[in-house]
Order: sequence, then C-alpha cells, then structure tokens
Amino acid sequence: MGNVKLSSMGKRVRKIDGVELVTGRAKFAGDMKFPGMLYGYARRAGVPAGIIKKRDVRTALKIPEVAMVLLAEDIPGPNIIGILPPFDQPLLAAEEIRYEGESIALVVAKTKTAAKEGALAIEVEIDPLEPILEPDEALKKGARKIHPAGNITYSKKLIKGDIDKGFKEAELVVENTYHTSFQEHAYLEPEAVCAVPCGDGRVTVYASCQSPFHLRGHIAANLSVPASRVRVVQAYTGGSFGGKDDVAAEIGSLAAVASVKLGLPVMIAHEREESIKGSNLRHASRIHYKTGARRDGTIVACKIEIILDGGAYSSESPFVTMKSLIHAAGPYRIPNILVECTSVYTNKTYCGAFRGFGVPQVTFASESQMDELASRLKMDPLKLRRKNALKPGDATATGQVFERSVGLLQTIDKIEERRKSSDLPRDREDDRWLYGRGFSCMLQGISNGAEGIDVVGASVQVSQDGSVLLGVGLTDMGQGSRTVFAQVAAEVLGVTVDRVTVRQVDTDSVHDSGPTVASRSTTVGGMAVFKAAAEVKKSLQKMASLMFKAGEEQVSFKNNFASLKQDDSARIPLREVAAAAYWSGFPLMNLAFSRAPDADFDHETHQGDIYIAYNFGTHMMDIRIDRFTGRVQVLQHIASHDLGRVINLTGVEGQVEGGSLIGFGFAHMEKIESEGGSITNANFADYAVPTVKDRIPTETICVEDYNPTGAFGAKGIGEPPVAGAASAFANAVAAATGVRFTKLPITKEDILKAGGKHGRYSH
Amino acid sequence: MHLEFICNGKKVSVDVPADMRALDLIRDVMGLTGTKEGCARGECGACTIIVNGKAVNSCLMYAVKLKGKEVFTIEGLSEESGKLHPLQEAFLEEGAVQCGFCTPGMIMSAKALLDRNPRPNEEEIEEAISGNICRCTGYAKIVKAVTRAGLGNNHG
Ligand code: FES
Ligand code: FES
Repeated sequence: MGNVKLSSMGKRVRKIDGVELVTGRAKFAGDMKFPGMLYGYARRAGVPAGIIKKRDVRTALKIPEVAMVLLAEDIPGPNIIGILPPFDQPLLAAEEIRYEGESIALVVAKTKTAAKEGALAIEVEIDPLEPILEPDEALKKGARKIHPAGNITYSKKLIKGDIDKGFKEAELVVENTYHTSFQEHAYLEPEAVCAVPCGDGRVTVYASCQSPFHLRGHIAANLSVPASRVRVVQAYTGGSFGGKDDVAAEIGSLAAVASVKLGLPVMIAHEREESIKGSNLRHASRIHYKTGARRDGTIVACKIEIILDGGAYSSESPFVTMKSLIHAAGPYRIPNILVECTSVYTNKTYCGAFRGFGVPQVTFASESQMDELASRLKMDPLKLRRKNALKPGDATATGQVFERSVGLLQTIDKIEERRKSSDLPRDREDDRWLYGRGFSCMLQGISNGAEGIDVVGASVQVSQDGSVLLGVGLTDMGQGSRTVFAQVAAEVLGVTVDRVTVRQVDTDSVHDSGPTVASRSTTVGGMAVFKAAAEVKKSLQKMASLMFKAGEEQVSFKNNFASLKQDDSARIPLREVAAAAYWSGFPLMNLAFSRAPDADFDHETHQGDIYIAYNFGTHMMDIRIDRFTGRVQVLQHIASHDLGRVINLTGVEGQVEGGSLIGFGFAHMEKIESEGGSITNANFADYAVPTVKDRIPTETICVEDYNPTGAFGAKGIGEPPVAGAASAFANAVAAATGVRFTKLPITKEDILKAGGKHGRYSH
Repeated sequence: MHLEFICNGKKVSVDVPADMRALDLIRDVMGLTGTKEGCARGECGACTIIVNGKAVNSCLMYAVKLKGKEVFTIEGLSEESGKLHPLQEAFLEEGAVQCGFCTPGMIMSAKALLDRNPRPNEEEIEEAISGNICRCTGYAKIVKAVTRAGLGNNHG
C-alpha cells in the first residue's frame, strides 16, 4: 500500500464541497426552513449558583405567538446531557443552578423574537448560593459540594519509573508554576439545530455538530424512544474545534422534544452570547512543573501537578485530564515521570473539548521549562531538545514504544536549517524594538486511544456510471476531511476526485463511528475508506479481467479507466466496467470498518500502549516587541510537523495556519473575563478573536515519516499546531524581553507592565 | 412599510415591518441564506452585503434603508450559467475556505474592494476585510485569494 503510484496524493486539491460554500448555497442548520417551523429560545439562570425556588410560565404563555414552554418535568427521558459518565448535566435545570448559562426553560414560538420575549417573561426565583469560582476554593476541606459526589471531576496519575530516584540523579532542578486561561472556540457559526417530526414516528434533527451519533443517543434518551427512531443529519457545520458536542446534545434534545410534542418543526439557533456562555470552553489550568536534569542536559525526572478548572459540569473533563497527563512531559525520553492531574468543578461555564484537548496547556508549561533549563545549563535550546527528543524505539511517557513514524528529530532538523538560513535581525535592535526567537517541540496523540473504542465505518458505492458515493461516520466541520476521504477512495479506485461524492453524515446510513475528535479522521477514517474502496475494487478488477480476458493482476485503474498493466493503450472506461459488473451481479458497495488496536493500558498509572501514532512537531517563531506599547509583531513562524504522509497539501497548510492562529490567540490575545461568576466579555468586541490584522506568517514544513496505521501512511494534523505555536510564542517573548512569563495569555499589556515603569526592557 | 430595491440585478418589491433588519429581510423573507449571522452586533462580518457599492453589515441595518438601493448578496455573484466569479474561483484555488461560514461575507467585503480598487495591495486587502472574522483559516490564504483575484483584473 505504501508503494502504489499516487495521483492526487500529496498535491493541492480543491475542497470537494467548496463550490457550495463560495456560492452561499450550502445549507447550514440555521438556514433551513420547513412549513410551520417554530423557534425555541432558552431561559437561562443568569446567576452562577443557587437553588431554584420558582418557575412561573404563565406570563410567557400569554404571549400570542408562544406555542409552548418546556420545563424539566416535561422531558420524557432522564433530562440529562453530557458526553461521559458521570452524566452530571441536566438538560433543563429544576433544582440547583451551577453556572450562569444553565437553561431552565425552553420557550417555543412562531418567531424568534416572541420566543425570546417569552423566555424573559418567565418568572424565575433563585435563592443564590455563594459561587465557588476558583479550584482552590472548591478543593478546600468543607467546601460546599457543587455535585453530590464532591468537587473533583476526575483525578488521575501517570507513574513512570521511580521519581525519587530520578531526582536523586538530577544535578539541576528547574521548578515553576504556570497558568493558562479559559479559551472560547469562537467558531463563526453559533450552534444551531432544526428538529423535524417525520410523521412515521421518527424525528429528524439537522444539526451543526461534531458527533452526530452522540447527539442521536442523547436525543433518543431524552425523548425516551429507541435510538432507531431518531435520525441525525449533520448540516454544513461552521467550525467546531471540539465545541459542538455537549451543546449540540442540549439544543438537539430540546428541539426534538418540543417538535415531537407539537408535531411541528422546531429550530434553535444560538446567539453569540449564548454560544460563549452556554457552551464549553477550553479548561483553564495551573501547572506546577519540576524538571530534573544532568549537567549534560539529559533530563532524568519530571514531576508535574496539574489542576484543571472544568467549570460546572464534567463534559469531556475526564478525557482532557488523561490527555494532559500523557502529554505533560513533552516529546522527550524521560525515564522517571510522575504527573498528577485533577479536574475540578467550579460555578463557571463548563469546559470540555477544544482543539488540542489539554495539550496546548501542558505544552506551554513543558516548553517553557525546556527553555528555562537550557538557559540554566547555558545550552542552546534546540540542542537541549534534540538531546532528549524521542526517537524510534524509545519509550514515551506511557512507556509505549514506536518503531516507526517518530519524526521528531527530522522536524528539529528542518527548523535547524531554517534557523541557520535566517538570522533574527537582532542587530537592528534599537530604542524601540526588541527581537526574540522562540522554539517549541510537541507531540499529540492520534486516535481515541484508551479513551474508548476507536472504530470508524465507511461505505463505498460505485454506480453504473463509474462515479463513487462515499459515506463516512465522521464529520467535516470545515477541516476538509471529506476531501481527504474522497482522495483516498479516488486513489484506490483509480478515479479522479471529481467523480467522488462524500455525503454529510446521516446516522441512518453510516455506521456509528464515535466522535470526530483526536485528529483521527485522516488516520482512522481514511483507513476505513481505504478498506471499503479496496473491496469494491475487487469486483471491478474481476469484471475488467473478464472483459480484457486477462488475469486480474494484469488490470489496473487510473483516470477513470481500467487498463492493462503491460499495455496502457488497452483501456476500458470505468463506467463500462462498472455497468458490466452491475449486470453480472458483482457487488459494487461495501461497508468497511477501521478499528484502531485496543489500547493496552493501565488506568491507574497511565502506562501502556495508548495511541496508534503521534504527530510530532517543532516550531520556531521570530517576533519583535515595541518597548513602548508592548505590541508584538510576528516576523516569521515556521511549523514543522511529522504527519506521516501528506494527502492534501492545501488542506494541511490550512490546518497548520488556522490551528497556529488559534494557538497564537490562546497565547497572546484571548481571555475570558468574568466577574462574580458572570462572563463579562461574551461578544466579539470584547473577546479578542484574532482578525486579519493579527494574523501570523505561518509557513508549513511537512515531514513525512510513514505511519503504518494510517491510510497511505498519514497521521492527523488538526490539533497539533495549536500547542506548537502557543509555546513558541511564549518562548519568543521570553527571548525578547528576558522575562519568563508563566501565564497565558501574555498580552500586550502584560508585556508592557513587566518592562518597568518606563516601558523599557534592559538586558 | 413598502419598499422597492434592486437585489442581485432583479427588482424586489416587499412590505416589511419598520423594525426588521436587512439581514432578516434577505434571509427569512427573500430566502437568500448565503448571507450569514454570526454575532448580530456588527462584530464578525458574516452578514456582509453590498449596498450601492459599499460593503455593509446587514445585521446593523434596517430593511427599509434598502429602499431604492442596489444590493448584492453572495447569491448574485456567480452567473446563472453557474460560472463562478473570479473571487470565488480564487477562494477555491487558494484553499481560502474551510468551514465556509465566513466565506460569503468575506467575499462580499473583498468584492466591494475590488470593484473600487481592482488591484489592491496587501494593506488595502487587510483593511477591507478587517471586520470579517475567520476562525478557521488563519487568514493568509484569504489574503492570497483576494490578491489573486485582483491580479486577474487587467484594467487596474
Ligand atoms: S452578524 Fe452582522 S457583523 Fe456579525
Ligand atoms: S472558513 Fe470557517 S470561519 Fe472562515
């Protein structure tokens, strides 16, 4: 499979659903319209903690356009959402309020305006409780319990080697505490769903979402009907980055319940403020990091304590906890590691999945440590990383050994070349500008790993005209996975990409493939497509061999033709082969599964084989800082990643550029501000999402170290750039200013403040 | 209130409530859902349309203000034959589209720019799309796409 001649692979391919998007024809959930459609709007708590005393809906029902109000007791099922056990989140709160964005009632009306008016008209009385806003308060002995089981969501350890022995061997210890802030996904499309009763006892929900099968499960449970009565169709989804999971389950369930009760379609489309306050954020973190090394730079021990502020509900906190544990020690060969990670409940907006999934936070800490260690050792920061970098055959933090596709050193080599060829213009340093260059190395596990079973189903159908229809159970939220899947099928079947159509996910017609997370689409999903296409190809091969009267092994497929290997001019159009295969009764459809090997893993120590591969990366960022204003300009940013094999170069660059800017925003600009448990900047004027003027000149370098577990050797690239860019930025700031900032974001104001009262740094 | 205006080259004649936003008229009444709503506060640019040659946020504009104007939405860009506008081609070619939710607004802002300044430089492009947020692409490919579309303009 590695040696096949590749046609569209690695090249620049236009997004296969691009025309719909540039013409505005693509239908997002909020664009849909059905006869009789009503709109839902939720009444939210507005206070971070309290006990509900009264919910009086009479005034709301008096508004003529209002059709119904849903309260917790109107939900037929268990009134619960949440991705994972302990399933601690009510769909509609009836008793306790745990964060300000909590929904208490859903008003359904003929117009959006009336629904909103109705929601505000509901009389709600809440006995306020003193909100618990910091993890330390939540962890205090005797603290009020936010959930019956206490304030710890999830707490685990990773234990490798002997930490005490490790530190005894250390000749030098670097110890620091780091903090990172909450981050909002800020996908441009706020969450939206539209539920349509079908008249056959079923309900269809069109949704802007990340994981349609999760959604189906939640909706069926809350409706108290079998899952087979619910169909979820993913609409075009305007970005997700991890964020449209719990919240999609929330509004999907509410819309479905209302639509089934009323027998009419119901749409719920969030406003931006709801999207920020009422859906998950990236966990804020505090990371205490102790690194022990020998004088020659060999790292011998790492002890790391991580506290994640998970907000009011568990969401994906348990998995983020795991991922933080596993990645905290960085992409290095370290014999003795102890990591403790605890996710804590507070009375704030809940935290869950966000591109990177705990890795950006811990990578910021580990890469800051590396630079601090390098400066203590008076060693070049890249040399220190190289010395400790994981190589094939080394054990990762979990003790997993990869013999192949560990391309970290190659990514360092690439950066080294670029460092040599481009001097940072330090000599231009003057009264105004400070210059700095920062490096970072990182790794990001690919696949669900020990977080759960990792199965993806894909169906490939070849029609009589030789065109290909593909269904995969993973969603495209803009990251371009449909194009990648099309390329894989095209490659196997020897058709051009324009002959391939990839359906949006419809739970009726593809296999439950779990969530679209963990940079697994290309790797695990691509493999399922590969297998299904290869099965269908067998029929075509058999048919073509009969038509050519030649052995099957003589037949090859290219450019929509079957041809003979020894004589390329003997060709039959694929459509003729496909039609003949159909009339001969050869199967032209196949459903295949790709299943990542089960993780072999000890959940107490987090030791074992967890992921099917890691993406490795090294970043370099050059910046200059205006001493007088603190303004930062990124002069150069190079992101070098080992992604196994490039399938679509344009897609890869898009992921690296977009992911890097999210990382830059996380490191420099974005911060959720709150007061007394209320978010005060829930809009784009006050929450600083990078604009075109803030963009950074990211350049992508692809290292292709063939990954045997991915289709054509590929590994995912969706998440890794976030951590790489954020950490390189922090190190560049430290290099420029001589000050180690231990908190993200490092804003312009922070930089200015740290420069002393004249706004000047001297070093 | 009654109003008439030209939308994508065609005459429109409608009655709208005085407090209706232009965005709702376009999306809900006229069914042109290519124009998106991302914030409703003039902060994201997803709702950008062109009114008398200027890119505006339709979420901040009353529908009645369209009276007598010439309006373009994303639907008016490609020809009826299906032939794409050079900006649309350039967005596809450069990979300037990921989720595509920002794309219609982004393209309309860029079109308003190219219409008055056929070969803009990078700074002018930045300025023109600085009110359009894109969370997916990191912007570099968008700037390249607009530049490419501009270079195709020979009359500049
Ligand atoms: S919706 Fe109009 S600017 Fe955001
Ligand atoms: S492509 Fe998704 S917001 Fe721009």
